[in-house]
Amino acid sequence: MPIKILVTAKRVEDYESKIKVNAQGNGIVLEGLKYKINPFDEIGVEEALRLVAKHGGGEVVVASVGTKDVHEQLRHALAMGATRAIWVNHAGPLDQMTVAGCLQKLIEKEKPDLAILGKQAIDDDQNQVGQYLAEWLGWSQATFASKEESLESEAEKSKTPALQLSADAKTLTVIREVDGGLETLECSMPCVVTTDLRLNQPRYASLPGIMKAKSKPIEEHTPATLGVDATPKITVTKMEHPPARKAGIKVPDVATLMDKLKNEAKVI
Amino acid sequence: MPSNASSPSFISQLCFGNIEEDLILPYPKMKAAEQETFKAVRSSIEQLLKPHDKDFRAWDEKGELPAEFVEELRQFGLFSLVIPEAHGGMGLSATAYSRTLQEIAKYDGSVAVTVGAHSSIGMRGLLLFGTDEQKARYMPKLATGELIAAFCLTEPGAGSDAASIKTTAVKDGDDWVLNGNKLWITNGGIAQFFTVFAKTGGQADRGNMTAFIVMRDMPGVSIGPHEDKMGIRASSTTTVHFDNVRVPAANVIGEVGKGFKVAMKILNSGRTGLGGGVVGGMKKLISLATVQAKERVQFGKPIAEFGLVKQKIGQMVVDCYAAESAVNLVNELIDSGSQEYAVEAAIAKVFGSEAMWRTADEALQIAAGNGFMKEFPYERIVRDARINRIYEGTNEILRLFIALTAMNEVGGQLKELSESLKGIFNNPIKGFGVLSEYARRRASMATSSVKREKTRFTKLDPALEKNQLVFEELTRELAGAVDRVLRKHGKNIIGKQFASKRLADIMIDMFVLAATMSRVSTSLQEKGATAVTKELEILEVLTGQVKDRARANMAKIDDNDDELVKSLADHALDRESFSWDNVE
Ligand SMILES: Cc1cc2nc3c(=O)[nH]c(=O)nc-3n(C[C@H](O)[C@H](O)[C@H](O)COP(=O)(O)OP(=O)(O)OC[C@H]3O[C@@H](n4cnc5c(N)ncnc54)[C@H](O)[C@@H]3O)c2cc1C
Ligand SMILES: Cc1cc2nc3c(=O)[nH]c(=O)nc-3n(C[C@H](O)[C@H](O)[C@H](O)COP(=O)(O)OP(=O)(O)OC[C@H]3O[C@@H](n4cnc5c(N)ncnc54)[C@H](O)[C@@H]3O)c2cc1C
Repeated sequence: MPIKILVTAKRVEDYESKIKVNAQGNGIVLEGLKYKINPFDEIGVEEALRLVAKHGGGEVVVASVGTKDVHEQLRHALAMGATRAIWVNHAGPLDQMTVAGCLQKLIEKEKPDLAILGKQAIDDDQNQVGQYLAEWLGWSQATFASKEESLESEAEKSKTPALQLSADAKTLTVIREVDGGLETLECSMPCVVTTDLRLNQPRYASLPGIMKAKSKPIEEHTPATLGVDATPKITVTKMEHPPARKAGIKVPDVATLMDKLKNEAKVI
Repeated sequence: MPSNASSPSFISQLCFGNIEEDLILPYPKMKAAEQETFKAVRSSIEQLLKPHDKDFRAWDEKGELPAEFVEELRQFGLFSLVIPEAHGGMGLSATAYSRTLQEIAKYDGSVAVTVGAHSSIGMRGLLLFGTDEQKARYMPKLATGELIAAFCLTEPGAGSDAASIKTTAVKDGDDWVLNGNKLWITNGGIAQFFTVFAKTGGQADRGNMTAFIVMRDMPGVSIGPHEDKMGIRASSTTTVHFDNVRVPAANVIGEVGKGFKVAMKILNSGRTGLGGGVVGGMKKLISLATVQAKERVQFGKPIAEFGLVKQKIGQMVVDCYAAESAVNLVNELIDSGSQEYAVEAAIAKVFGSEAMWRTADEALQIAAGNGFMKEFPYERIVRDARINRIYEGTNEILRLFIALTAMNEVGGQLKELSESLKGIFNNPIKGFGVLSEYARRRASMATSSVKREKTRFTKLDPALEKNQLVFEELTRELAGAVDRVLRKHGKNIIGKQFASKRLADIMIDMFVLAATMSRVSTSLQEKGATAVTKELEILEVLTGQVKDRARANMAKIDDNDDELVKSLADHALDRESFSWDNVE
C-alpha cells in the first residue's frame, strides 16, 4: 500500500568547518564555511526511502526553509531518491516555531501519512521542531528513533528496522533511544518521528541520482503564502566559544593515573 | 573570455610581444547550473571516499584496488563524468571535470588516476573523434563503467618518441589485423575498451598510424600482470598484447593514417584532468601540513611559529593558487571551443606537476621524521606525486614543445617550419633542423617587421598596476629573447635544448603569472579590495618570484655554462662513472 512521507533537509554548517564567533558576539563568521544537509535529516530521508520501498511505493517529499541556497540540500535529498521538493523561501533569522509553523501548513496541504525529521539540527542543537509540529498537528509522535549499533553491520541490517509500518498503514512501531537502552512505541498514524544518529547509515547520492534530481520539481512557497508569521519569537543575543581545553598530561602507569584521579581530580 | 575556434594562443602572441588580454580576462567561473551539480558531486564523493581513508594505505601497499571497490566506483557513476548526458553521462565541462578530479585526488592518487585515465585519455578519442554510431555503441556502457577505458600508445621501444611505435595494423578484407605490444597501460587490468595506436603505413613511414577501438574480449588480446610501482600503486598498470587481433574497420577512430594527430589531441585535451588532480593534492597537503605544524611542539612552541616552517606553508599557498589559476584558465579555453590551447595546457601540466612535487616534498619535511613513516600519509603522497612529471608527456618533452610551438607562431610565415613543428613529438630532431632555415631568413628580416600592437593590459584592475608593469616589461624582454635565440643558434639549434628550456621556463612563469593576475583582478572587481587582501599578497609574492626567475633565465640565454655542463655530461657518459676519488 503506497505511503507518502514528508521529510526535511535543513542547510547547516559542515561539522568539519572551523566555526568562529563573529565580532558582535551574536552569530558566527560565515566566510569560508561549507554547508551540508543536517545529518539527522539525511538519516530521515534514508529511513523514508526504505519505508516507501518496503511498502510498495509511494512518495517522499522533502522540504526546507531558507534562501535559495537550500536548493543544494533539497537536491541532495532528491539525488538520494526523494520524489519532489518544497522550498519555503525565507531570508533572515528563523526560529523553531516559524519552521514548525511552515511545516504544519505544508503538511496540511500535502497530507502525508508520516513526517520524519531530524531530532535536532547540528548547528543550533535545539531539538524542538518535531515536537512543536506533532503538538500543533495533533499527531502522535516518536522522538529519537534509533537502533542498537552505531553502524549498520550485516548483523544489524538483518535485524528489525527501527520503523515498522503495519500492513494497513494504521500503526507505526518505532524503536527509540532512551538513557541506557531502547524503548519500543506503537504510534497511531499519522505521526511525527524524529531520528537519532544510530537509526541507519544513509546512502550516498550516486552521480546518476544527481542527474535525475536535476529534473525533479522544487515547488516554491514563502511563510507569507503559507500564512505563517515569520517574526522570530526568540533571538540569539550572545554566543561564545567554549573555554580552550588545557593540554593533557601523560602518566607513566595505571597506579599514577589512579592516584591522580583520586587525589588531584577527586573524581573517584 | 570571448574566445572561439579562431582565437590565437596567448603564449604564441606573447612571443610577438602581444598581450591578448581578452583570452584571459575576465577570469572564468563555473556556470551557476554546473556549480550546483558540482557541489552535489563533491559531497557525494566525500561520502563515497571518506569511509575508505584507512583502506587507501592498505591498497597502496598491496598494489591493487579490490574488485569490490572498483565495482563501488562503477555503481557510484564515476566513469560517467565526461560522457554527454544523451549517452547516459554527466556531460561535465572541462572546468567541472577537472574540479571533480581535484576532489578525488584529495583522497587518493590511485583512485584519481583510475578515474582520470578512463575519462582523460582512455575514451577521449571516442569523445573527440568518434562517429555517432561509435558513440551510441560504446558510450552508454562506458558511462556505467560496464566498460572501463584505457589508452594504449607507449611501447617498450617508444615512450616520448611515440611516432616510433612498432605495433602494426594491416588491412585484411573489411578488418584490420593488429600485432604488437603495449607497455605501462593505465587501467590495463580492469579495462574492456582500449584506444590503441598502430602503424598503418610501412615500417619506414614514421608518423603514419591509426587509432582503433579494441575490446578486451576480441580473440588475441591479452594482458600482462600488474606492475610493481613506486607510486599510484593501487592503480592498474599492465602490458597489453595484440596477437593477430581482428578489428572491424568500423572501429577506426578518426581517419586512417591520422592517428598521431588523434593521440596528440587526446593528450592535450586530457591534460587539465591531471592538472585538477595535482591541485587537489596540493589542497590536501596544505590542510595536512598546517594541522601538523600547529600540533607539533619543539623548542617550547608549535613549529608553525617558526619562520622557516611558515616559509614552506606560504610557498605552498602561492603554488597552489597559481597552479589552480593556470589550470582553470586552460579549462575555460577548452570549454569556449578554442583550438589553440595546446601550449597553455602543457604549461599548466608542467607547472602543476612541479608545484605538486615541491608541495609534497615540503609537507613531508614539515612532518620530518613522522613524514618519513608509513603511518602518515606524506610518503605515499610523495610517491604518488612523482608520476605526474613523467606521463602524459615528460616535462622535458613538454618544455621543448612549449618553446618550439610558441616560437613556431613567430615564424608562421615559413610553411615548412610550421609543418615540421607540428610533428615535434613525431620527429623532434627534424623539427629542430628546419628552425635553422627560419633563423637564417629571420636574421635578414628587419626586426621592425614584427607587429606589436597589444603591448599593454587595459582591463586589469588598477590595484594591480605594479604587477602589470612587471608583466609588460617581461613581455618585451621575452619577445626580444625569442628573436635573439632564433637568430643566434641557427642550424646548431639541435644542440640547444638548454636555450629552448630557458624560454619555456619563462613562458611557463609568465602564463602562470598572467592567469594569477586575471584571477586576482576579477576577484577584486567582484568582491572589493578588503575581501581579497590575501589574494593580492599571493600575487605580490608570485610576481617577485616570476620576475627573478625570468630575469635569471633571460640573462643565461647569452651568458651561460651550457657547453661546460655538456662537456661534463659527455665525460661521465664516456666513462659511465664519476671519475674522482680521494683514494689513489
Ligand atoms: C605509471 C605509468 C602509467 C602510464 N600510463 C600510460 C598509459 O595509460 N598509456 C600510455 O600509452 N602510456 C602510459 N605510460 C607511459 C608514459 O607516457 C611514458 O612513460 C612517457 O611517455 C615517457 O616515456 P618513457 O618512460 O619511455 O621515457 P623515454 O621517452 O625513454 O625518456 C627518458 C628520458 O629522456 C628524456 N627525453 C626523451 N626524448 C627526449 C628528447 N628528444 N629531448 C630531450 N629529452 C628527451 C625524457 O624526458 C626522459 O627524461 C605510463 C607510464 C607510467 C610510468
Ligand atoms: C629513518 C630515521 C632514522 C632515524 N634514526 C635516528 C637515530 O638513529 N637516532 C636518533 O636519535 N634519532 C634518529 N632519527 C630521528 C631524526 O634525527 C629526527 O627525525 C630529526 O632530528 C627531526 O626531528 P623530528 O622528526 O622530530 O622533526 P621536528 O623536530 O618535529 O621538526 C619538524 C619540522 O620543523 C622544523 N623545525 C623544528 N624546529 C625548528 C625551529 N626552531 N626553527 C625552524 N624550523 C624548525 C624542522 O626542520 C622540520 O621541518 C631518525 C629518524 C628517521 C626518520
